[in-house]
Amino acid sequence: MEKLARRAWAEPFKIKVVEPLHMTTPEHREKALREAGHNTFLLRSKDVYIDLLTDSGTNAMSDNQWAGMMLGDEAYAGSENYYHLEETVRKYYGYEYLVPTHQGRGAENLISQILIKPGDFVPGNMYFTTTRLHQELAGGTFVDVIIDEAHDSESLFPFKGNIDLEKLAALIARVGSQKIPYVTVAATVNMAGGQPISLQNLRDVRELTLHHGIKVVLDATRAIENAYFIRERESGQSEKSIAEILLEICSYSDACTMSGKKDLLVNIGGFLALNDWDTFEKARNLVVVYEGLHTYGGLAGRDLEAMARGIVEAVQLDHIRARIGQVEYVGERLLSIGVPIVLPIGGHAVFLDAKRFLPHLKQLEFPAQTLAAELYLESGVRAMERGIVSAGRNQETGEHMFPKLELVRLTFPRRVYTQAHCDVVTEAVEAVHDRRHSIRGLKMVYEPKYLRFFQSRFEPV
Amino acid sequence: MKTIIEPFKIKTVEQLYFTTPEERKGLLTAAHYNPFLLHSEDVLIDLLTDSGTTAMSAKQWSALMDGDEAYAGSRSYYKFEEAVCDITGFSNIIPTHQGRAAEKILFSILGAPGKIIPNNTHFDTTRANIEESGSLAVDLPDPSGIKTEVAADFKGNMDTDALRALIARVGAENIPVVMLTVTNNSGGGQPVSMKNIRDVSAIAHEYRIPFYLDACRFAENAMFIKLREPGYENTPVKKIAQEMFSYADGCTMSAKKDGLVNTGGWLAINDDKLAAKARNVLIVTEGFPTYGGLARRDLEAIARGLVEVLDESYLAYRLRSIEYLGDAVEKNGVPIMRPTGGHAVYLDAKRFAPHIHLDHFPAQAIVCALYLKGGIRSVEVGSVMFGTYGPNTDDRSGAREQIHPPMQLVRLAVPRRVYTQSHIDYVAEAVSEVYAEREKLTGLRFTYEAPVLRHFTARFALV
Repeated sequence: MEKLARRAWAEPFKIKVVEPLHMTTPEHREKALREAGHNTFLLRSKDVYIDLLTDSGTNAMSDNQWAGMMLGDEAYAGSENYYHLEETVRKYYGYEYLVPTHQGRGAENLISQILIKPGDFVPGNMYFTTTRLHQELAGGTFVDVIIDEAHDSESLFPFKGNIDLEKLAALIARVGSQKIPYVTVAATVNMAGGQPISLQNLRDVRELTLHHGIKVVLDATRAIENAYFIRERESGQSEKSIAEILLEICSYSDACTMSGKKDLLVNIGGFLALNDWDTFEKARNLVVVYEGLHTYGGLAGRDLEAMARGIVEAVQLDHIRARIGQVEYVGERLLSIGVPIVLPIGGHAVFLDAKRFLPHLKQLEFPAQTLAAELYLESGVRAMERGIVSAGRNQETGEHMFPKLELVRLTFPRRVYTQAHCDVVTEAVEAVHDRRHSIRGLKMVYEPKYLRFFQSRFEPV
Repeated sequence: MKTIIEPFKIKTVEQLYFTTPEERKGLLTAAHYNPFLLHSEDVLIDLLTDSGTTAMSAKQWSALMDGDEAYAGSRSYYKFEEAVCDITGFSNIIPTHQGRAAEKILFSILGAPGKIIPNNTHFDTTRANIEESGSLAVDLPDPSGIKTEVAADFKGNMDTDALRALIARVGAENIPVVMLTVTNNSGGGQPVSMKNIRDVSAIAHEYRIPFYLDACRFAENAMFIKLREPGYENTPVKKIAQEMFSYADGCTMSAKKDGLVNTGGWLAINDDKLAAKARNVLIVTEGFPTYGGLARRDLEAIARGLVEVLDESYLAYRLRSIEYLGDAVEKNGVPIMRPTGGHAVYLDAKRFAPHIHLDHFPAQAIVCALYLKGGIRSVEVGSVMFGTYGPNTDDRSGAREQIHPPMQLVRLAVPRRVYTQSHIDYVAEAVSEVYAEREKLTGLRFTYEAPVLRHFTARFALV
């Protein structure tokens, strides 16, 4: 892998509008953390200094997108912004039909309800919280068919998001292709640390599933970041444009669910895009019950416009190089001071390996949750747990899932923070790392039924 | 001064596009005689809905710029929560991307097969969400509410005798919630009196049934109470709204109406246990509880909108501008729902086009004619929206037996703060001309209909 020169990732934009940040004292943070039940999700944003909770919907929009917001056509039916988005999605993602949704989980809900029957199996390259839940609510069972390297935070394999074709073939042999409505392919794989999938693997998955009449549904949320990794890492791709690679990624699938709040540089919005008329017809009839009429999908017209413009900005090489360059910058600084992180560094976040960071804590003492809490306490930096709390419980046995990876995600909103902010973050992580031996774990005192990581509460052991 | 003017001036405008009658003929045919399927640039005056079509104020736009897009704990949420709480007094305020999501969450928890949910009149998405949960949606309008020609002050009221009878017949344990829609949209945007809210609340609570408001147009309803209900003449509208909510245990809200915004809604619940369940469902389908599937900037716009909507000079202008349109068409003999409601003028299609059989959708025929005449988009609120099928089929034609709702209406919904008096004059002229040539109207039949909420995507052909 060629190393990028430092200057290559300088932001290809200047700042037009700013939002003040607030510093807090350690005492203030201690109180805020206690009130939030040691769950960073429950902190108020005013108590947070640098917010790395998520890259979802936290992007800074461009002046061009804001100008588009002013061109919002708020007609209930047939808004011009819908047609603009439809045309843009068709051009850059290649799917024939578009159903906008208020965000990505709206699209997951639609596709799961339409395609999954009770008793079905849905294989995928590692679970994602909301995706798996919608599959389960529709009566399906998620089966992880990602390659083993994905579960090893130290493996340097360049495409840790790849699907293990043998695992997939074995599942098809075991349950039969009739029981598998589709395979979900995430690009990149969030829970594996923002790791990409290769074009070759996508091609192979397509070939195998076509043979068995199984559909492929792409989770295209960060497919543009994935396209950048393909351009950097996969042989024969370095001369292609991001847009060309994106189109090829999508061409190996029948449909995609999309949270525009990530790649597409907006604060709200998502869509389901697909090629099959019948499924589209069903989705259009369902979307009106849950989201809104199919020409707005529960979004303001202006938000459709901002998303359409965001697509064009997001596929620019300068943009995506700076985006991933920034994440890499933080990751490399942390590596250089000996902080254990997931390698290779992913597209949207640096993932701290809490098992190696806090080896003295048992997994049921929630090492990643603890580390996220300590990081906040130290510096006001807010991160997110992606470990045993996020993994939830087995539907049948009720047991914790005990995932192999116990991670803290430092997620970078797009175009929001500067290099100086990044430096503060690495200093904060270093300070926690220096006192890691004295850190004690947590116990869970409230656990909600679905997606427990959002609202669960903890106390120190 | 007798003339009521807009309590604002125009700060930003949006270009309108004109089409010729010939062009419109082609466009309507391409849209299968369903104006929902028209591109909005082919519409001159869009009276399809008052939902989300509001013009926001400069203050709302500046609030939009102040949105805190943090995923969790956004300060915009707390501002929103405070604004909603100030008016409704409910203890748990759960934002949703729009009103139907609030309905979906509420009914997916309270509804189940065998359950019955009464309302003065359920709106289309409310009914669909109740039916999705397996429950039965029952309308109990006051008898005056379904007679378009009768002018009464509160035609949106629920028939309280019918409510008692329903409870006696099916048992309180099978009624998980009693609802009132203020104002009553499907019944012509007619208001509900404070007395009726109080009575319905008392009956529900007598049987320990929770009582919820569908509060989409709560401010318009509150203004009607001020203008029409004895004892409220001198009460500030905000106080009236607060009293309306005080009788309820929660509400669903589409802020796209009286929130004066383009997107957003909420579910408010006093019962903490129910609220915890609702938040669990919210996270699955909408988003984290401090954003509920909305950009945080939209929460800011709602908070500000709730202040502006309770401005009495705004509400006086709003109700008067609807009445103005109603008066203008009625002067030319056009049959409308009397008195005019809060957000729309409803044409009575049964009296407008008595020569069209109900099976051929007279209201849809008028909707199409209005588009052809003036590029005006309106919506059918009749058999297309609420009709169902009976068990019988016609021996000769094989057509299924249609069951029709009590009224066949064409709704001319007026977006808030968007159109001027001269736009409205133009609309009145077009409606009156279509009425003058009413014998030329022809009915329609379905060529495609979806299994739920068919009016959105239906296609028609001329009979």
